Amino acid sequence: MTLTLEALDYSRPIRPLFAQAARTGFVHSIFPKALNIVVDETLFVLLSAGVSRMPNSARLPACIMEQLYAKLRPGVEVCVGNGKLSIPMLDLSVHLPDKAAWEPVPVIAAHSWHGATVVRHADVIARHLAQRAREDGLAHLVKPLLLQQATWETPLAKIALPLLRSLLRASREQDVVGVEQAARGLAGLGPGLTPSGDDTLGGFIGVMALLSFQAGPDDIKSKDLVGRQGATDGWGRTPTRGVPTCGITRPPSTKSDRPLARIIADAARPCTTLLSATLLAHAARGAVAEHVGELLMALPGEESATVLRAAERVLAYGACSGGDTLLGLLLGLQAAGIDYPTDDTGENYGYTSAAQAEYVL
Amino acid sequence: MVIQALLKRNTYYDSITLMSVIQFVKEQAAVDDAGAVMATGANLALMEQAELLPAAFLAELEKQPGPEDLLIAIRASDEAAARAALLVAEQKLAAPGKKESSGSASTPAARSLEMALRHDASANMALISVAGEHAWLEAEQALRKGLHVFLFSNNVSVEQERRLKTLAASKGLLLMGPDCGTAIINGVGLGFSNVAPRGNIGIVGASGTGMQQLTCLIAAAGLGISQAIGTGGRDLSEAIDGIMMREGLALLERDPSTEVIVLVSKLPAKHVAQALLAEAARCEKPVVAVFLGKAPEEFEPVDSIIKLASTHTDGAELAVSFAGGDHKRVPGNGALLALESKLAEQHASLAPSQRYVRALYSGGTLCYEAMLLLSEQVGEVASNIPLRPEWELAAHEQYRGHTALDLGTDEFTRGKPHPMIDPTIRLHYLEQAAQDSETAVILLDIVLGFCSHLNPASVYAPLIQRLRDEAQAAGRSLPVIVSLCGTEGDPQRLSAQRAALEAAGALVLESNEAAAFAAASLVRGTNGISQSRGLYD
Repeated sequence: MTLTLEALDYSRPIRPLFAQAARTGFVHSIFPKALNIVVDETLFVLLSAGVSRMPNSARLPACIMEQLYAKLRPGVEVCVGNGKLSIPMLDLSVHLPDKAAWEPVPVIAAHSWHGATVVRHADVIARHLAQRAREDGLAHLVKPLLLQQATWETPLAKIALPLLRSLLRASREQDVVGVEQAARGLAGLGPGLTPSGDDTLGGFIGVMALLSFQAGPDDIKSKDLVGRQGATDGWGRTPTRGVPTCGITRPPSTKSDRPLARIIADAARPCTTLLSATLLAHAARGAVAEHVGELLMALPGEESATVLRAAERVLAYGACSGGDTLLGLLLGLQAAGIDYPTDDTGENYGYTSAAQAEYVL
Repeated sequence: MVIQALLKRNTYYDSITLMSVIQFVKEQAAVDDAGAVMATGANLALMEQAELLPAAFLAELEKQPGPEDLLIAIRASDEAAARAALLVAEQKLAAPGKKESSGSASTPAARSLEMALRHDASANMALISVAGEHAWLEAEQALRKGLHVFLFSNNVSVEQERRLKTLAASKGLLLMGPDCGTAIINGVGLGFSNVAPRGNIGIVGASGTGMQQLTCLIAAAGLGISQAIGTGGRDLSEAIDGIMMREGLALLERDPSTEVIVLVSKLPAKHVAQALLAEAARCEKPVVAVFLGKAPEEFEPVDSIIKLASTHTDGAELAVSFAGGDHKRVPGNGALLALESKLAEQHASLAPSQRYVRALYSGGTLCYEAMLLLSEQVGEVASNIPLRPEWELAAHEQYRGHTALDLGTDEFTRGKPHPMIDPTIRLHYLEQAAQDSETAVILLDIVLGFCSHLNPASVYAPLIQRLRDEAQAAGRSLPVIVSLCGTEGDPQRLSAQRAALEAAGALVLESNEAAAFAAASLVRGTNGISQSRGLYD
């Protein structure tokens, strides 16, 4: 007898995948609290209750996830569609609950954004990140990029630092070719299941997309994302207009028809893992993980402590994914007009001395 | 140097697993560097930059790796070492977080309490470490099945904790926790625990590292532990009312192998502590109560059978005396006298700008004790767990004057290993403290035992040596004092750790109290030593 379960909640972009005719897929990868499933090149994830929601997730009770982790292996066949996920091997099916989906695109227009406030918060986050960053990701590059401080000269930093500078410069100058080159260089770069470069790009384009009028409607293909719906904004709702830009200039429009965030996600896609490419595609439409959205929603507020707590939650994600994402968010804000005392040349600020660099933190 | 590599197609591990495995591999003999990355084009370029690209290995592959493949590469001094390290990496990835096979026939992993009980119906204790939101349910099930519970999980609400402890007490069972990290039951260490001889001193503690410090000081005096029962840090709060401390006290009173009982907690609620002491007064065995942050006189009058101590070292000395041992064998403040000339010499070599103690702790209770003692000696001590609200470090501050950081708190460990396991976060702070021209002395705790880093001296000693050398080159000295909590029986071996740290120039003390006094004396001058409370008692 098939055991039928109902998910605790789900993200809006996966709803169409469940609504369509049934298709065969497979278990992509499995962890104690996350089970990635691929159907027709579209990846979504089952998460354990209590884990921060992702743009493409449904959550199940932790005890169920523990059972799935114990019994499933990558490659196991599943079937998604007709309103459910079926796992024949376990004689199990999972339905989405009959309630509103969780919305992964933060409604930043709900708050008044004052440039000075956001600048102040971004500065606090940048300094906090500089203190907390480890050497093994990209987060410590916040020092040379935004704070005019030296940092460790690691092989990863040597490659990434000029690329991040190029990304910022090209974004400001609407240089599509430069943006694509930088994105291709950063995609798939660094440690982790979602390599550090991807996490940073994700934060960057998430902010770019949310602060851009161009983030919503476009020609989304079903295999890129599963959230497209009819004639709305591609997300099943009216496109956001009047995104607050008080004191913050919008990301520059590009010479391409596509928004900058989309250009970056498209350039990155062939260079990295399916999991990363999926999350980048979501970010390009402003759909971000729950903890990232909470931080963005905290930025217009006055309380630095609230912002720091939200930044801490982002930092706590993964081994270095959180810090890498935070760096991307800060760079995205800068590309959107936050005025940091950035050193663009890289001549005056860069790495610590060779002696310091030798030490592996 | 040779490079050996392994490619695992369509294989995914989470970042924390990959990084901890690689960190472990890097610590293997003769390994120069190692990496494990998804084999994207960018990462192959990165490996080349890091001189880790296994070019020969890749050339032999029929199909080149892609973004969905995991590439592990190890550079070592010779091929055998590289191959051995690669094998270690593969084994660790196959069973992340698990100990190596003991060679005996293994029991299939139990995935539920019921399964575990089917494996061994004689089990009478459950160790629970699941996500906090479900922990209470598992704990309640275990209690209802008549099992004592060691509840490692945190994020259990106060209401749930009180309910569980009331249930446990009604059944005469222990509910150790939540957030209980340390216990020794019938000679078996649970969680973070030290290898101490069995003996006649029983401990009930609301603080993990506090229990470890007591255990190690008692073991150093040649005595042993009958039982060490953890209660969880909130047990002596108003809300929990000391339910489990009282239960532990009653159990130890009935335990024939226990002759002396030690209670330990930081900052108990006053009336809860008083009620507990009243209960202890009815006990027929000597009781030593170590209540950090509470002066003994706050609890007068106390029955003469109960001795109150305000530091772990005092508590250990009292317990050892009651248990028939020689309290002078406890490595307490007397050890400072042997260091007096070294401390004076290091104080004299400080630059004028070097005025502050910078304490970087992994153990919360040890940090708290150090702050209490330091503040008596030097005044305000800024911290992320401040003794007074006005001493709290602001979000943007890393140090402010005399500073003590508890690097084991959630703000530093969320999603990352505790610094007792993975020193990464503390190495970062250590380096920053050393570079601060106002730092006069760095005070560290290093806690040995099960679950802790397998060889902390191998990580800290080279860094301490280098930082001291760099300071000297810059015309200043950099005293480093280590509060080393461990025993000779610990996997890391106390003497080996001490020797390595001392060879790097650190001053090593086994008493956290003595270490804090030594740090204070360095900023106050050696007169501070002779003024240290209890030194010449």
